[in-house]
Amino acid sequence: MLEAQHISKAFKNEQVLDDLNLQLHEHETLSILGRSGSGKTTLLKILAGLETPDAGRVLNNDQDVLSLPVHKRDIVYLYQEALLFPHLNVSENIAFGLRLRKTDGAAINERVNDMIQQLELEGMQDKMPHQLSGGQKQRVSFGRALITNPSVLLLDEPFGNLDADSRHSMQHLFKRIAKEFKITSVFVTHNVKEAILMGDRISNLKDGKLYIYPTLEQFLNAGENMVQEEIKFWQSISETKKNSN
Amino acid sequence: MKAKSFWAKVVAVTFCFPVVYLLLLSVASHWIFPHVVPQSLTLNRWYSLLTGTNSLFGSLILSVIIALSVATVSTFLGFYTSKHIAYHRSRTLWLRLSYFPFVLSPVIYSAVLYYYFIRLGLSGNIVGVILGQLLIAYPYAVILFSGFWNERLRNIEQLVQTLGGNRWQTYKRVLLPMAQGLLLVCFFQTFLISWFEYGLTIIIGVGKVQTLTLKVFQYINAANFYNAALSSSLLVIPPIILLYFNKKFLFKRHW
Repeated sequence: MLEAQHISKAFKNEQVLDDLNLQLHEHETLSILGRSGSGKTTLLKILAGLETPDAGRVLNNDQDVLSLPVHKRDIVYLYQEALLFPHLNVSENIAFGLRLRKTDGAAINERVNDMIQQLELEGMQDKMPHQLSGGQKQRVSFGRALITNPSVLLLDEPFGNLDADSRHSMQHLFKRIAKEFKITSVFVTHNVKEAILMGDRISNLKDGKLYIYPTLEQFLNAGENMVQEEIKFWQSISETKKNSN
Repeated sequence: MKAKSFWAKVVAVTFCFPVVYLLLLSVASHWIFPHVVPQSLTLNRWYSLLTGTNSLFGSLILSVIIALSVATVSTFLGFYTSKHIAYHRSRTLWLRLSYFPFVLSPVIYSAVLYYYFIRLGLSGNIVGVILGQLLIAYPYAVILFSGFWNERLRNIEQLVQTLGGNRWQTYKRVLLPMAQGLLLVCFFQTFLISWFEYGLTIIIGVGKVQTLTLKVFQYINAANFYNAALSSSLLVIPPIILLYFNKKFLFKRHW
């Protein structure tokens, strides 16, 4: 279980995170919804060890990981951009984490082939990153992260750069893979529908604090999140359509 | 297409002519105006060079050692330093400082610093000359690499760390392979800076460190054209060899 306790972070005079608490259970995906600049990325970077909080603790399976270097935390952070290594082909990109761990060559081949099948990337093994579409790059990026079996996966708007179709397909692929690999993850997005679709639980980051909703109903009924805005928008569209008819 | 090929040949001949001329002059034993070609040829100079009896051989080895040291140290140090400068709060200030030796001119820069070289016992020896040339080549490497680092690369670095890579693995498996082409360009350029360096070398080396470039000027001043041609040929050949082996990295991008 990943736990963040009383996390605070300020940049110059701006308080980005303020006494924030988070609990992430094993094999669950927590969606974090928030507007641009609300501190979502800062929170993920603190959890990954890429940013240091001004106050608070981060525990991974009851071990304080704040003093651990990033590469020993076993928490993978995925960016909005796939960030594939341009000098490696698809297979080698996916195998990257295993090569770092000096895993046996035969085992690497077996696991990479298995991952390529899971990600529906058959026939792409030898392609270089510049030969792939945005969706394919994101799949390879997932494979590269998942193959090392990290204890937590942090996803920072991973489908933000994709077109609507690719985004839809990647959302379903992620849901399937998250279930199969029993992934524990935090999924950051500013898209309400995506937050609902991807998360087992949904939370809202606002004014430096994280509000976690135990159920979808509670989230939908909460007044201070973007759901109400979304409902109002679709209602106004519907009324406009009725009036024009 | 034919016109293009013709002009390409003209350009190639224009560039090759000085090299061929130098080689011919280096094997001439008697070549006096108005003769278009040498009246007689000799391989004695090249033979004495290859057998080590000519003092030019020592200068050749010295120049190779100095240029390789300067190129290697400045390339790797420049790569590492430029990264820290790129992500530093005072990035602009540090980059401006990197231009300082070039704004001042290398010769004046070395003359200004000469006092410190004497105090440190580095005047008139090979270590001093290497350090002196590094004062030019190292900032050059920093400037060359400064465009390589950006926010995207920083994110890639951080991604490697979260995937389990330590600092050494990040360099070995990602940063150095990604910078491979630029590293070779930098090595080549800093090698050339050192290889053809004259003013700084004569000031710091006080004429005791006899590199090939210094020899060329000495032979020209002494009106010894044949030996000047031999030393000039030696001066030109290594960069050509280096250019030939690195051409695919210098002129082609792989990804």
